[in-house]
Amino acid sequence: MTVAGSYTRAELWRLRRPLAGLGGWSLAEAIPALLSGYATARAVDGGFLAGRPVTGLAWLGVFALAVAAGAAGSRSAYRRLGGVVEPFRDRLVTRVVTGAVRRSVAAGRPDDGALARLTYQVELVRDALAGLLTVLRGVAVGLAAAVAGLLGLAPLLGAAVGVPLLLGLGLFFALLPSLAARQRAAVTAAEHLADAAESVLTSHRDVTATGARALADDLVAGPVAEQARADLAVARGGALRGLALAVGGWVPLLAVLVVAPWLVRRGDIGPGAVLGALVYVRQGLHPALHLLVEGLAAGGLRYAVTLSHLLTASTLPSPAVADPTPAAGPLLRLRDVTFRYGPAAAPVLDRFSLDVRAGDHLVIAGASGIGKSTLAALMAGLLRPDEGTVARSGPCVLLPQEAYVFSGTLAENLSYLHASTDAGLLEAVGIFGLGPVLERLGGLHAPVDPAALSAGERQLIALARSWLAPAGLTLLDEATCHLDPAAEERAERAFAARPGALVVIAHRMTSVRRATRILLFDGSRPELGTHAELRARSVTCRRLSDPAGRPRDVDGLDPVLRAGLGEDPRQVVAHSAGGEGQVRRDVLDGEALRRDLEDA
Amino acid sequence: MGQAPLPSPAGRSLLLRCVRAAGGSAVVLALVCVTGAAAQLALPAALGRTVDTLLGSGSPARWLLVTGLLIATAAAAEVLSPLVTGAGNARATAWLRRTLAGHLIALPVPVVRAHPVGDLVARLTGQATAAGTAASAVVLGVTSIVPPIGSLVALLLIDVRLGLACAAGLLVLSLLLRRFVTDASAAARDYQVVQGRLAAALAEALGGSRTIAAAGTAGREIDRILRPLPELSRHGRGTWDALATAAGRTSLLGPLTQIVVLATGGLLLGAGRITPGDLLAATQYAALGAGLGAILATLNRLIRVRTAAARADELLTVPATAHGCRTLRPGPGELRFLRVSVRAGDRPVLDGVDLVVPAGRTVAVVGSSGAGKSTLAAVAGRLLDPDEGCVLLDGTPLPALTSESLRRAIGYGFERPSLFGRTVREAVGLGRPEALVRATTRTAAIDDYLDRLPHGLDTPLRALPRSGGENQRLGLARALTAERLLILDDASSSLDTVTEARIMDVLLAPDSGRTRLIVTHRPAVAARADLVAWLSHGRLVRVDSHDRLWAVPDYRAVFGGPA
Repeated sequence: MTVAGSYTRAELWRLRRPLAGLGGWSLAEAIPALLSGYATARAVDGGFLAGRPVTGLAWLGVFALAVAAGAAGSRSAYRRLGGVVEPFRDRLVTRVVTGAVRRSVAAGRPDDGALARLTYQVELVRDALAGLLTVLRGVAVGLAAAVAGLLGLAPLLGAAVGVPLLLGLGLFFALLPSLAARQRAAVTAAEHLADAAESVLTSHRDVTATGARALADDLVAGPVAEQARADLAVARGGALRGLALAVGGWVPLLAVLVVAPWLVRRGDIGPGAVLGALVYVRQGLHPALHLLVEGLAAGGLRYAVTLSHLLTASTLPSPAVADPTPAAGPLLRLRDVTFRYGPAAAPVLDRFSLDVRAGDHLVIAGASGIGKSTLAALMAGLLRPDEGTVARSGPCVLLPQEAYVFSGTLAENLSYLHASTDAGLLEAVGIFGLGPVLERLGGLHAPVDPAALSAGERQLIALARSWLAPAGLTLLDEATCHLDPAAEERAERAFAARPGALVVIAHRMTSVRRATRILLFDGSRPELGTHAELRARSVTCRRLSDPAGRPRDVDGLDPVLRAGLGEDPRQVVAHSAGGEGQVRRDVLDGEALRRDLEDA
Repeated sequence: MGQAPLPSPAGRSLLLRCVRAAGGSAVVLALVCVTGAAAQLALPAALGRTVDTLLGSGSPARWLLVTGLLIATAAAAEVLSPLVTGAGNARATAWLRRTLAGHLIALPVPVVRAHPVGDLVARLTGQATAAGTAASAVVLGVTSIVPPIGSLVALLLIDVRLGLACAAGLLVLSLLLRRFVTDASAAARDYQVVQGRLAAALAEALGGSRTIAAAGTAGREIDRILRPLPELSRHGRGTWDALATAAGRTSLLGPLTQIVVLATGGLLLGAGRITPGDLLAATQYAALGAGLGAILATLNRLIRVRTAAARADELLTVPATAHGCRTLRPGPGELRFLRVSVRAGDRPVLDGVDLVVPAGRTVAVVGSSGAGKSTLAAVAGRLLDPDEGCVLLDGTPLPALTSESLRRAIGYGFERPSLFGRTVREAVGLGRPEALVRATTRTAAIDDYLDRLPHGLDTPLRALPRSGGENQRLGLARALTAERLLILDDASSSLDTVTEARIMDVLLAPDSGRTRLIVTHRPAVAARADLVAWLSHGRLVRVDSHDRLWAVPDYRAVFGGPA
């Protein structure tokens, strides 16, 4: 709760001016409450019952003036409330969005529960804060006015009312921890629900295609039930609050009824004062306590619990330490880089070294899951090596497989990495074959709906965007996988024609043939060379590179397999984790290959 | 296409259905509220009588007892009311969430895709909570009218002039409050719309977190997402302004009504027409009658309920995918497209495609980007209904089949499968027997990966580290239980060629007993198919074997080969 407390204090301090305005108008709003019982008592005792109706009406006139002042205060107070709550909400939204984006960027995947925080929890906090401010004003005003009024009428009445009031308040504050726990459970349940709903709705096409509607229903139904249970527990807490209200709000009414006649009989007060006292209790104290118990319990707890949850979940990740950038040298230099995903995991890279210079067109190929994307992330600085160094000089752009296109104009999407003129953008549109997309959208400055684009079109936009960025090191991590080969070739050639270096993580062998150098991952032992060199050495590579899709070069297959690739002297990376396992894998591939040839 | 008109789930007012979903609690709440209101209503009269007996010479014990009982009743209602309200709200909200979620899941794919996920989640979470309070809001709204109306009657009974004075005040109030409903609901709706836009922008950026990380553009992304914030703030202030206007009026007119009653009562008291107790009762009734604070709060809540229910209703009124009642008769799995056309706006995506995929054979669908390959695949398994023409599996039109029969027969592998489920077992197995799951993961060459997971198939899906290729193979394994037709839409595009070849060895084996429709960019895959359907601009160019088509330069150009 202290997180929420200090945040609230700091924010309210920033908003002290509108808050002061709110407080001032609240005081004006309190005038009728303070006068209500007193004016009634005077009007009745000194006016109507004393046979002086003009005096009675005059007192009511004073009351009416107070009401008019109060109404003006009330109206302005609500406006000021918006002036406090909306800026507060603005800053909270900013914080939640900032936290969600920064955390997602640091983790490389969407931050859990971010949408629930933005849509649901921020609104809870906003409404709760508005409620709280209203409550605090109402309670302060109501209780102070009622107690002051009662003491003004007769001190004994004040005492008779004060005792049960304090008891009720005590009971309420004793219940607070339990009420807080219920609210916390409800907030957690809401987040589980939002996560489940997001996961299922994101997978809607797949749910339909698999016919697993029952499972999808069930995935949402679980959290829905959890939330319903939590809401019910909160409702039970509401009944407990009602109990505190009964003691603190209703018992004083009985107390007045017992004490007042005695005071009247002693001649301390008149019948009008009894009326006034009852007005204070019924119209002042009871509603104020009601506000406190309902508002503070529901709103205050919800506010504190939700806000502290929001703030914790939006904590910014610690900023990454920037790589020392060498003043000169190759565009990219990896030296003895070792990386593993956990202390016990086998290394994805083991003492790996590589230089990429301007003019290089390096293609990285190999089986999926073998560490190509990890290498790209290390090259781009998104991951840090466990050992060794990664040094870059000059700009670096990484394009992941999932192309990011946002709702904005095509021009905004294309100039995302680097501001360009429309002419420049149109050149990129032409080069990457985005003409039809441009035409369909209605121009560079027409809005783009990312969901209406195909995966390939999104990749083309991401490619054109990177091409427009200053040339340096460009890393395409399967960034063309949704393109047809012609579009892919066009894209790769466009990058290769620029100054700087191109590194492509390939998923098709046609890309491999365009490279000046190839880094082939086979097992944990990358091999570097030109296409011809590797083709001579590796069956795998040769088999994959036939244009018609059929391996035809049968001769010489077995000798290569038997030779084993581990003994090749041109292998650039010295380390090999397990040569034996590697040979077995190659043989397996060879068997698959032979079977394939027989089918043909 | 025989689209049977399905009874719209929102044929009746959604709000009414929410009220019904709250079940008996609405009735109990009504009872509690009416009892509480009755006690509140009787209390001023009892208080008046008590004061009169206390001031006079009569025995006050009886009236003190009555007052005490009324106070106890009112207090009990205050204890019970939040409990019953909360229970009913929880039940109704849960019902609305289940209904809306179930309906969203059953909607046609293009309908759901047209909405950002963040917006749908907002409807299912926060906005459903608001709509779920319909029952209590209605009951509280209706019963909150009881004290003012009852007070008026009570005042009339004490003295006609008191009643008339109070009625005049109430009439003016109710007229002014009616205007407030329209003002505030417009501001609240605008606010929610902008909020949905913000959420959608955030969801988008979170999906692109890797690009943003690499580009170092997190700061700019945050600015872009927050761009609608001033507009949100403006609409937010609009709601407060509407409330301020109403609050000003209420706080002016409420007490003024009370003062009018007090003055009238005071004069009547001076003239000896009523007792001090009557005056006390009259002031309390005037306060009850003018106690519009509660009604204001309830009105405010009703506005939110109405807005939120309208947002839910928007989607509930869209009909779900209609399925027929036929099950597939035994057959070999022949798929037939009859003059199938699909349009996106005015643009034809598929244009009169006639194609037969022979039973048990493999047909590769080939064409450059935008040729309509994915649309053909979507139509083949009824992820999309064609605008014209129809698709038949073993002679039965797909829309005539039950959902179960359709999905058991047809399986889909996607280029970007989206896995769902709590565990890997659920996500890949979808509740099928373990042996079957093991077999499919072996075929999809993902079994080694699964074996290396800390908890195997029981690893939570959220904690599953996976590359694009691994994800694709998991998605493929999920599809491999299809009994008659397997549709692969670029489902191996993230795999390296070796792994792909290994999987295709098994999938394309001639004796696999399934018909296969495979969208591909790779010649190696097309070469293995029995036939290739070559698409261009939504039209079928030619259906022939890969070897024969390879002689055509335009066909080779599709694969980026030498033209």
